Amino acid sequence: MIGLNGPMTQSYVELHAASAFSFLEGASAPEELVDRCVAVEMPAMVLLDRDGVYGAPRFHLAAKKAGVKAHIGSEVSCFWFPVSRKNQAFAEKRETRNQELPLLVESRAGYQNLCRLITRMKMRGPKDAPPEIIAARENDLREYAAGLICLTGGDDGPLAAALAEGGIEETRRAVERLVSIFGRDNVYVELQRHFLREEEVRNQAAVGIARALHLPLLATNGVRYARAEQREVLDAFTAIRHHRTLETAGRLLARNSERYVKASQEMARLFADLPEAIAETGQLSSRLAFTLADLGYEFPRYPVPEGETMMSFLRKRTEEGEREHYGRAARPLRQRAKRQIERELALIGKLDLAGYFLIVWDIVRFCREQGILVQGRGSAANSAVCYSLGITAVDPIQMDLLFERFLSEERGEWPDIDLDLPSGEQRERAIQYVYQRYGKLGAAMTANVITYRGRSAAHEIGKVLGFDSEMLDRLSKIVGWWEYRDPDETLERQFRDAGFDLAHPRLRKFLELALAVQDLPRHLGQHSGGMVVCQGQLDSVVPLEPATMPGRVVVQWDKEDCADMGIVKVDLLGLGMMTVLEDSIAMIRHDYGEEADLAHLPADDPEVYAALQKADTVGMFQVESRAQMSCLPRLRPKCFYDIVVEVAIIRPGPIVGQMVNPYLKRRQGREPVTYPHPSLEPVLARTLGVPLFQEQLLRMAMIAAGFSGGEAEELRRALGFKRSEQRMRDIEVKLRAGMECNGIAPEAQDQIVHSITSFALYGFPESHAASFALLAYASAWLKCHYLAAFTAALLNNQPMGFYHPSTIVKDAQRHGLKIKPADVMRSEWLCTLEASHQSTVTSRQSGSDVPTGNWRPATGDFCVRLGLRYVKGLREEAARALVREREPRPFSSIDDLARRVPELRKNELVALAEVGALNSVASCQLPVVSDAGFTFQVSRAEDANNVKRETRNVKRHRRDALWHVERAARHPGPLLEEIVERESASPLAAMSTEERLVADFRGTGLTLGLHPMAYRRPEMDALSVRTARELPGLPNGKRVRAAGCVIARQRPGTARGFVFLSLEDETGIANAIITPDLFEKNRLLLVGEEFLMVEGVLQNQDNVVSVKVARVLPLAITRAATFSHDFH
Amino acid sequence: MPFAAIYVPDFLVAAVVRQEPLLRGKAVAVLEGTPPVVTVAAMNAAAAEAGIELDMTKLQASAYPVELRQRAPQQETAAHAALLDCAQAFSPRVEVTAANTVVLDLAGLELLFGPPAKLAQDLKQRASELGLEANVAVASNPDAAIHAARGFAGITLIPPGKQAECLGPLPVDVLQVTPEILETLDRWGVRNLCALAALPEVAIAERLGQEGLRLQKLARGAVERPLVPAEPPLEFEETMELEHAVALLEPLAFLLGRLLEQLCARLGARALATNELRLTLILDTAQIEDSPQSHEDTENRVIGRSGHRVIDSGVIDSMTRSPDGSITRFVRLPLPMLDSRLFLKLLQLELRAHPPGAPVVKVTLAAEPVKPRPGQGGLFLPATPAPDQLELTLARLAGIVGEQKIGAAEVLDTHRPDAFQMKRFAPSVAPASGRLSRGHPALARVGETNTRETPTRTAAETAAIHRPTMALRRFRPPLAATVVVCEGEPVRIAADKIQGEVASVFGPWRNSGDWWKGKAPRNDADSHGLSWARDEWDIAVPTKQGITLCRIYFDLASGAWFVEGTYD
Repeated sequence: MIGLNGPMTQSYVELHAASAFSFLEGASAPEELVDRCVAVEMPAMVLLDRDGVYGAPRFHLAAKKAGVKAHIGSEVSCFWFPVSRKNQAFAEKRETRNQELPLLVESRAGYQNLCRLITRMKMRGPKDAPPEIIAARENDLREYAAGLICLTGGDDGPLAAALAEGGIEETRRAVERLVSIFGRDNVYVELQRHFLREEEVRNQAAVGIARALHLPLLATNGVRYARAEQREVLDAFTAIRHHRTLETAGRLLARNSERYVKASQEMARLFADLPEAIAETGQLSSRLAFTLADLGYEFPRYPVPEGETMMSFLRKRTEEGEREHYGRAARPLRQRAKRQIERELALIGKLDLAGYFLIVWDIVRFCREQGILVQGRGSAANSAVCYSLGITAVDPIQMDLLFERFLSEERGEWPDIDLDLPSGEQRERAIQYVYQRYGKLGAAMTANVITYRGRSAAHEIGKVLGFDSEMLDRLSKIVGWWEYRDPDETLERQFRDAGFDLAHPRLRKFLELALAVQDLPRHLGQHSGGMVVCQGQLDSVVPLEPATMPGRVVVQWDKEDCADMGIVKVDLLGLGMMTVLEDSIAMIRHDYGEEADLAHLPADDPEVYAALQKADTVGMFQVESRAQMSCLPRLRPKCFYDIVVEVAIIRPGPIVGQMVNPYLKRRQGREPVTYPHPSLEPVLARTLGVPLFQEQLLRMAMIAAGFSGGEAEELRRALGFKRSEQRMRDIEVKLRAGMECNGIAPEAQDQIVHSITSFALYGFPESHAASFALLAYASAWLKCHYLAAFTAALLNNQPMGFYHPSTIVKDAQRHGLKIKPADVMRSEWLCTLEASHQSTVTSRQSGSDVPTGNWRPATGDFCVRLGLRYVKGLREEAARALVREREPRPFSSIDDLARRVPELRKNELVALAEVGALNSVASCQLPVVSDAGFTFQVSRAEDANNVKRETRNVKRHRRDALWHVERAARHPGPLLEEIVERESASPLAAMSTEERLVADFRGTGLTLGLHPMAYRRPEMDALSVRTARELPGLPNGKRVRAAGCVIARQRPGTARGFVFLSLEDETGIANAIITPDLFEKNRLLLVGEEFLMVEGVLQNQDNVVSVKVARVLPLAITRAATFSHDFH
Repeated sequence: MPFAAIYVPDFLVAAVVRQEPLLRGKAVAVLEGTPPVVTVAAMNAAAAEAGIELDMTKLQASAYPVELRQRAPQQETAAHAALLDCAQAFSPRVEVTAANTVVLDLAGLELLFGPPAKLAQDLKQRASELGLEANVAVASNPDAAIHAARGFAGITLIPPGKQAECLGPLPVDVLQVTPEILETLDRWGVRNLCALAALPEVAIAERLGQEGLRLQKLARGAVERPLVPAEPPLEFEETMELEHAVALLEPLAFLLGRLLEQLCARLGARALATNELRLTLILDTAQIEDSPQSHEDTENRVIGRSGHRVIDSGVIDSMTRSPDGSITRFVRLPLPMLDSRLFLKLLQLELRAHPPGAPVVKVTLAAEPVKPRPGQGGLFLPATPAPDQLELTLARLAGIVGEQKIGAAEVLDTHRPDAFQMKRFAPSVAPASGRLSRGHPALARVGETNTRETPTRTAAETAAIHRPTMALRRFRPPLAATVVVCEGEPVRIAADKIQGEVASVFGPWRNSGDWWKGKAPRNDADSHGLSWARDEWDIAVPTKQGITLCRIYFDLASGAWFVEGTYD
């Protein structure tokens, strides 16, 4: 019986706690549990998450920092108690429920056994296999029992299950069985007290059995959350897990709020009658020697030919590469390269990392052999060895990059090599190669823990509170609309704006819960490209489980956790731009008959730099955003390093750190180059005294604050770490202390601290920026020289980048490229190139759609044929069938098309007709009919030539096609099937311009005709509205009007509430800046209108042109649904 | 043969404005839904102009200068009835096309009401007098009239043979075509009736089928069809005016018996039965004031806006006295029946439970006609009481214990102790094995043993089932108690039946739930439907009869102690 008066004696350790990493069965993050341990002065805790050690790294790290001992374990699902006959029917009827066996890790062997046990369980079925498949069997437990300690569990444990199913005797047998599996010393009879009658019955039985079997009693609290109030979150999770609402979840929900982390005194009072159960917790805790610091991970060895060591093999491969890359270089460079490579190889040898380099080299080699474009990014680009091995494409010697950023002796951490691959199938092939090479249990993808974020939290919490779908939609929309929030943009106000009254108790609860579940794990996903490999058995380091994608295995930790635990990973990342480059090269090879080798692009191509300097960069990698465009004319890149800086400078880190303007001013000579402290000059000289790259920040910390390599590493991790706020605060304290010691003045300290901490918002390492700059250069070069191929490839890989396809098309047209509409007689599924001798037809015809740049007619003799993928509603399968059927014989009529491609559904035919893709079918088969009689086409197989002879070429319009489609789509039945309708012109009027625009945007999301604004130019002229092309020619400070289609709306977190609009007209893109006040006054207009006219003062400085808006008006240009890329 | 169509634009709003003439000319939006989501369902042109859009929430709409009203189906029914009245005042041949549209056959009315133009004017005038601002159109066929009324504001007269010409400018959606066809026509650029009418017929038939042809004919105003006059609803109602007011139930029952026999005979003649009887008694108003019943009835009237307070459970229902001194009473039956004797008994029980309170001067009895349900029991099913007998018994019981206290207790799936709801008792068909369900709601919760098996039962609960349990005799409602607490434990209790020092104590057993429903105000014992939290204790109290074991609890919401029950 529970007695509330008891001695406050022994120290209690919680040995049965679950975090939110039990996925909807726990309500606190591991860090919260640790914080609570600190608050109640608990010296240690065991984390027992359900069937995994998902939260263990975070728990371990948080505990290490807080000085709490973090024991590891897991609640393992079992299904091995015989269900007594009496309850057989009951067991079949009810939801299958496993018993949860709490296993605590005592030693490293125990940890390895636990990982293997869980891996075996999880790999038994697919990801969402039913619980009974996954559950551990008795022989599994016997095999992996060593080093593990077993508790008899709480209300879903084996003791409770045995008691329920078979009474005391069955329970006793069950406990004896556990003893036989785990050993007499390793079984503890667990007692929990949550003020529940049923539980006390179980406790009485448990005490009796423990005494009879001479087993120790152990008190736990079966913790599911850190603080009592988090029971509400757990209840919400329970409802989510069972797909119910809170209202209908009934007794699935908790009975009370007692499963929080309780202090020693509280537990001692609860177990006043059984003090030994409390005392035992401390003793058991002291037995548990294992922590995650003792993981035992080993990177795999690369198999080398006989007589070679990995190091000698690596040396040979590196030397081969060195000869290739530097063989023809100038002598000083060659010598520097040789020295650096020697230095790197020495360090690699010393740290025994040759295997790692060889494995990455091997993957790159595989990709090259398979013709897959691959390029290393990240800090690997700092290494001359990586460059020589072909892993990276940036020459670190020439760029003078800092090798220590990649690898340093004192850091004692694995280097990080990321490989960019074309996204999609190519990347998958590389991933499968790694699996195949290192075996199923030797390689795995890192996990991606999917957490509750704004919208998902709002949606699921709303659902459990019983809101209907309409309300859920409304609520989800409130969350996270813009990146930036006004300080006074309270939730109450947001709710009110969305039409909700927070006085309603359920809405209030919704808000509380949605905030409480933020960042808690929802389920485990798969990281897009992070792979870990291990010498021998990866499953003894971390449990593995199947991913949703067949053939994929994931580890239970995410990328950060793997890094924290010192597990080396290789990121095989899919990059859309790589696919674009690859596709462009293939088209250049196929259509132009030329070879474009990305590795040997002409350096310093004047056209590329001219385009960059003018910010004429739509579609180019990394330099196309509005912010980049506004920086380019000021930075005026003249060499490759300038592109590196450009890529790195427009990041939240440098922007918040207020480093952009000083850098640009210094570059333009408007501001002297100074340094926060003279000692920092060597570090910052190349960026004119302004830190722009991560490496510089680390160096600053080392020089100014005397950070050790390890501390600098901690700083680096905090910089790129998403859970970094607390870390950053801690680091700031350290930084200041260090700088104080070095006698740095307070102002300089502020400046340095500001520079460093602002990078927490994300900044690039120099090597990474260099790798991206290479891609940026390559994309720019392709756009300048092979516009048709580049545009087609870009259109084929949408969605990607900053702009909608309609903007990409308009930009390409302005550069003189002709883009032809989708046509069932010519188009493939993807956009293709067609020979054309009228490459500038569009611009000549349009009058106003003229080329803006001094581009040579770079499109050559090619134009782009829009692919059928752009016809909305058309399935790929049907389109491919159409193309297949067209190959042998073109379609002679729409009827013919509908008959021969039965895969095409009516709505697809209509979609094709509406965008004009059937116009050429209709026009090439119009029979010449001399009288009013019908023309019968006797045979379907009649030669197309014959048909041609009987037809005259009349240009049909889309409505003709729509008219005929409506008939063709109605199956006439076998009798009338062969009768060809005399496809005379339809009685329908051709579409008006406006109707065509509407149909274009509705059907393809873009128009290949004139820009909608072009049709209204006379009216715009009458209103004195300037075109985007005119604006750069106007003086700074002039009051102007501009108008266009809103193609991007941004409210960046770094811009203090300013909103940036990009307005596109037929001549280009104009930028508009909206102040926060104006935005507030015209919120609906600015957020909702598709076409706007703005009026304000022109800001035209350093060729950066924008209108600072004082007044904004809606424009009724067209009913067509245009698109805007809104950042929210 | 001319026809006139009357169409009320923005009908939902018009129905509201009709009830509140002060809203006339103002911007009005009608809301529907239940809190917290109440959205705009309709608005008039002025409200749309003010910025109101469909689906706005109430909070959003309230930011605009418009009058907001909740949608009321009764008002719409009344508005529709008024529209019908308006038409029927002119012609007996009226077609109800929609809630907002009626069509009249004007044949032969010219002599009575003048030429069509005047008639149309009169119709509009009459509708306006009835509170409805309507469009009126006269044409030579009903559909042309309907479309003209929908499409043109005010009065429209279409001369014979000029339908196509007149209707031409109207948008195609006045034809109320299916969304698919509307979309096709839109794609074709066919946006008005003129364009639709001009398309070649054969081609239309090939593409849109017969429906396309029909629409085209409608567009040309060329569909000739007979009017489908509204049939008067099938009403079974008998009324008897009494020469002398009847004050006693006995003679009233005699009269009711006669009326019931007539009604049942009429229903039987049409092979119908009834599942609802409506009894309206007109009372002698001179004597109402003295009636002790009157006060209660006045209160009842306040409860239901429509004049009827209807409770879902139970046989019956309620009574309301309308201002003219009449009382209406419903008797609802679980299944269609046709037994005048049974009906009489049910009515007698009803009247006994709720005496009219004044002498009756007029009796109206109406029956809702429904098809009788053929009934045949399963061969292997145990006999259940005859539905009519059961109904009678339940009605009698309800008369004794009260309507809300009869039915079958259904245990709710919640941790809240003793949570149940009363459901209307209806014998369920037993499973084929003939075994009575162990989980019969009425049997659940005996002795705190929940025998219902649900997937939610934990192992601990299952364990609890297998041990011998003590039965708890609950006090309903729980007894308020005064408890002295020392060091967190109850040491002395004083309640109605249990008083004394606490000899031994077990607990607390802690329960809480429904936290998302909001907190009950402090000191409010009735926290039903809100969050709840309580600490239970099992205590032994020595009494004269020996030791009494009882369960007490401290309600955290109200801060009060209660005795929940005693253990056997």
